[in-house]
Formats: sequence, structure tokens, C-alpha cells
Amino acid sequence: MKFIPRTPREGINVSKTHPLAEASTLVVGLGLIVVAIVVAAVFLVEIALYFVPVEKEARLFRNFLPDDVVTVAPMDERLYQAQLLADRLVSHWADAPYEIRVEIDDSTLVNALAFPGGLIIVTSGLLDAVQSENELAFVLAHELGHFRNRDHLRALGRSTVLSLFFSVVMGSDASGISIKVADLTLRGFSRTQESRADAFGLALVQAEYGHVNDAWRLFERDMADGDLADIFIYVSTHPDSGDRVENLRRQAEREGWPTSGEVSPLRW
Amino acid sequence: MNVSRNAEIILSNTESIPGRTIVEFYGVVTGNTVRAKHLGRDIMAGLKNIVGGELKGYTELLQDSRIEATDRMIEQARSVGANAVVNVRFATSSISQGAAELFAYGTAVRVE
Amino acid sequence: MELPSGSSEMDQDTLRGIELIVNFGLPLAIIVTAYFIGSYIERRHFASIISREAALHGFPVVTFDTMPQEWSAASATMVTGSIVVSLDYFKRVIAGLRGLVGGRIKTYEPLLERARREAVLRMIESARDDGYDAIFNVRLETSRLANARGNGEGTAGVEMLAYGTAVKFVSRFG
Repeated sequence: MKFIPRTPREGINVSKTHPLAEASTLVVGLGLIVVAIVVAAVFLVEIALYFVPVEKEARLFRNFLPDDVVTVAPMDERLYQAQLLADRLVSHWADAPYEIRVEIDDSTLVNALAFPGGLIIVTSGLLDAVQSENELAFVLAHELGHFRNRDHLRALGRSTVLSLFFSVVMGSDASGISIKVADLTLRGFSRTQESRADAFGLALVQAEYGHVNDAWRLFERDMADGDLADIFIYVSTHPDSGDRVENLRRQAEREGWPTSGEVSPLRW
Repeated sequence: MNVSRNAEIILSNTESIPGRTIVEFYGVVTGNTVRAKHLGRDIMAGLKNIVGGELKGYTELLQDSRIEATDRMIEQARSVGANAVVNVRFATSSISQGAAELFAYGTAVRVE
Repeated sequence: MELPSGSSEMDQDTLRGIELIVNFGLPLAIIVTAYFIGSYIERRHFASIISREAALHGFPVVTFDTMPQEWSAASATMVTGSIVVSLDYFKRVIAGLRGLVGGRIKTYEPLLERARREAVLRMIESARDDGYDAIFNVRLETSRLANARGNGEGTAGVEMLAYGTAVKFVSRFG
């Protein structure tokens, strides 16, 4: 046999698709899939909520307290006053299903959270940041709004379902694209929740004081302030402060609630 | 099962093809392909890892890859004017997690 | 973390902008840069490969496992050529996404093609530099080098190895 050197044609082992085209198809396709999954998870949680009645939740979580919270002493004057304030606000909420408990987390972060069973945790950082009782009242009333809409259970359900899904399935996604897309989609859902909680909260404040002066002063301070650290945490989990203030103002106008009135000072 | 979809080019993993003589040889030709499994196969494999048994999804995946790699090798052979590829060898290796490279190579020859 | 007050009026929009940049803009910029630099390197490598293959055109390389009868060998030795290529960030991201939907990872193909041809070229060049005339029983191997982190996720690189038996033809002139 004779040797005749011949070179094969170029490009047989290489695809003609341009890498950037492949990349964009993949990213867009994946993004759509992730959005669909998040929507499905949200839907699933809604259905599940239907089967967990409020009374059962109240019973189950009556003495619930998360482990990583450092509570202040029960004798703390601030705790006493905050609980009193919460009780006063709750009295305006007809058929409130839970006994609302307030605990203070001894932390410099500014935050307020609602937990299953009617537990509201505010940080001492938040108590330092508010400058009048009306501001604190709105923060508490906002959390009561979440309880009314059962948002705290939604958040729990969604994060459980999605983190289960992502840890099992998306292990090979090194760049975290799917997680970022899921995060953005979820935030869209939570923004509606937050505005509904705001609306209910403002109504409670109006019922308690007869006016809504100073209710959203905390957020106005956040908007103008150059000081990132303190207010940032609370604000980053909630929608844009500017939008919130706007919507609250409009709501007060619509309902005819006075925006001026005597501001009550903090009682500790 | 057929190793390729191509009936005109003869493949053999030995040096000679029974009943034919090689008259010319042209050099090495190769075909390779890199494929990733998709989520469904991965989940099934995870379950099978618990109970054991054939991972049908992966078997199919690698079979398809092998056919594709062989087809590419044959295309290279045709482009040099060969009608057979002898001493064909396969190599499989994992390139990254979940992606396998399949490699076929041989010598392109003309037989009569 | 306390910023000095009065440094700048950081309003919501700036915060939002910074968050977007860090979460999306920066990774995107890295990916796009990696892509452009990577494809430039790739084109240059392919050009070098093609020209060296042209220079070695007449050198017989086969996978026969016995030496063709027409050759008479004065001496023989084993020769190898190898190369380790790294998978750039862009390609790894694409491969990760492919791992979810399946299919051919088209961005890896030129990389593996280059690596293989380069390994073979090095084998041939080392044989020729030592005065050999042909190589038979060529075999090709690929192996993955695991990431130093050892968590099995990353890939430090891919090694391509080509080896075969090189022969020196009996000189007709004695």
C-alpha cells in the first residue's frame, strides 16, 4: 500500500454556532425556566396556605422564638412600652386571630420581622432609630398587616421550596445565574405584599391616633440620609422608600386622613 | 447495533479488512464530540445510585455521542478520499462535571 | 460599617444601581472579556497549528498496530506529545448551563480540537527532531485535571496525550 499524505478538511469537529449566540440562547432559556419554576413554587405555597388555618398556626407557634435572637430582659422598659403599643394597635384590628407578642433582639441592625404565631421581633437598633412613637407605631402596624395577609408563612414556604429545589437541582450552575434570576422574580412578588401591609398598617395608625403624622418619617429620613449602614438592612428587604412614601401619602389623601396632628414622644 | 449511520465507508478496529486489500493510506482522521447530560438524566441517575441498575439515560447519551463522533471521523475520511477507516479506537473522558468527551480516531485508507 | 456623613447623598437609585452592577454587570463584563481574549488566543493557536501541520505534511502518522510492510525500520522508539489546556471562565459558565438542559457543548469543541492537534504535532516534531521518519500505532488519551480545591466542581484543565512508535527507515544508501 502506498502512502499519500492528505489533510482532512477544516472545521468538521467544530460547530458553526457562534459562542455568543449559544451563550445568549442558554441564558435566556434558562432564565425563563427559572421564572416559571418560581411562579410554580409561589402558586404551590398559596395552595398549601389554604390548608393551614390560622387557628392551627396560632396554636402551634404560640411560644415560638427563633434561636439566634438575643432577647432583652423582660423588665426592659422599652419592651414593656412596645408591647403596650402593639396591644393598642391590635385593639383596632377586629377579629385578630393571634395573641401578638413583641420581643426585642439586642442588635445594632435596624430591622423588624414577623414570625409565625403572632411574634414580632424588633431590634434595639430600630428602637434607637425611631424618633417618635408614631414612627414605631407604623412599623409595628406594618408587621400586623403581614400577619393579616399571612405573608410570613408565604415567605417561609417559598424560601423552603425554592432552596430545596435549587440545592438538589442546580448544583452545576457555577455562575449562580439561576439564583439571581429567581431572587429578582421573588422580589417582584414580595413588593405587592409589602404595599398591602403598608396600607393596613396606615389604617391601624389612623385608628389609634386619629392622624397619620410622622408615620412614614423613618423612610423619609432614609431617603435623605447619606448614612448607609443603619437604615440599609431594613430598607433593602422592602421596596423603594421613595415609592413607599408616595403611596402612603396618596392613601392618606384618598381616605381623608389628616397628616398633621400631635406627635407622641417615645415613652422610655 | 450500528456504530454509524454511514453505510458506504467501512470501519474496522483491526488493521486489515477481511477480504479486502488496502491500496493507499492517507493519515489519521478523528472525530470528537462533547455532550452534557440534562437535568432529567441527572435526577434519574441520582435515584439509580441508590437502588443500582443500568443508567439508561446515560447509555443513550453516550451511544448518541459515539455515533456523532464516528460520523465526524467518517466525514474527515471522505474529505481525504478514503473509503475505509481501519484501526479505529474510541476514547471517553469526562471534561467537567456532567460533560463527557467522546473521541473516535483511525487511519483513513482506500481498500479494494 | 459607617460611611462618613456628608460624603455623598446616596439615594435609593444609586444603591439600586450599585447592586445591579455588582450582581449582573461585573460578572457579565468578566465573561465578555474572557470570551474576547479567549477567542483571540484560539484564532492565533489555530493559525499556528495549521501552518505547522502544513510543514509536516509528508510525515506519515498512522494508527496501524503493526508496521506497514513497505517500511523497513532501522530503529524504533516510543514518542509522546502532550498539552494541558485550561477551560476559560466563559466556557465553564456555558458548560454549566448546558449541564441543565443537555446537548452538545459547542464552545468546548474548538478547544479540544486544538489541544488534540497540538499534542499530535508535538509528538511528530519531537520524532522528527530526533531524526525519525514515521510514527505508527498512534494513540490519543484525554484526561481531566481536577481543581486544586478538590471539590470536584472546577476543572483546572484538560490534558491531551498523543503517543506512538516512531521508526527510522533503513537508509537506501547504507
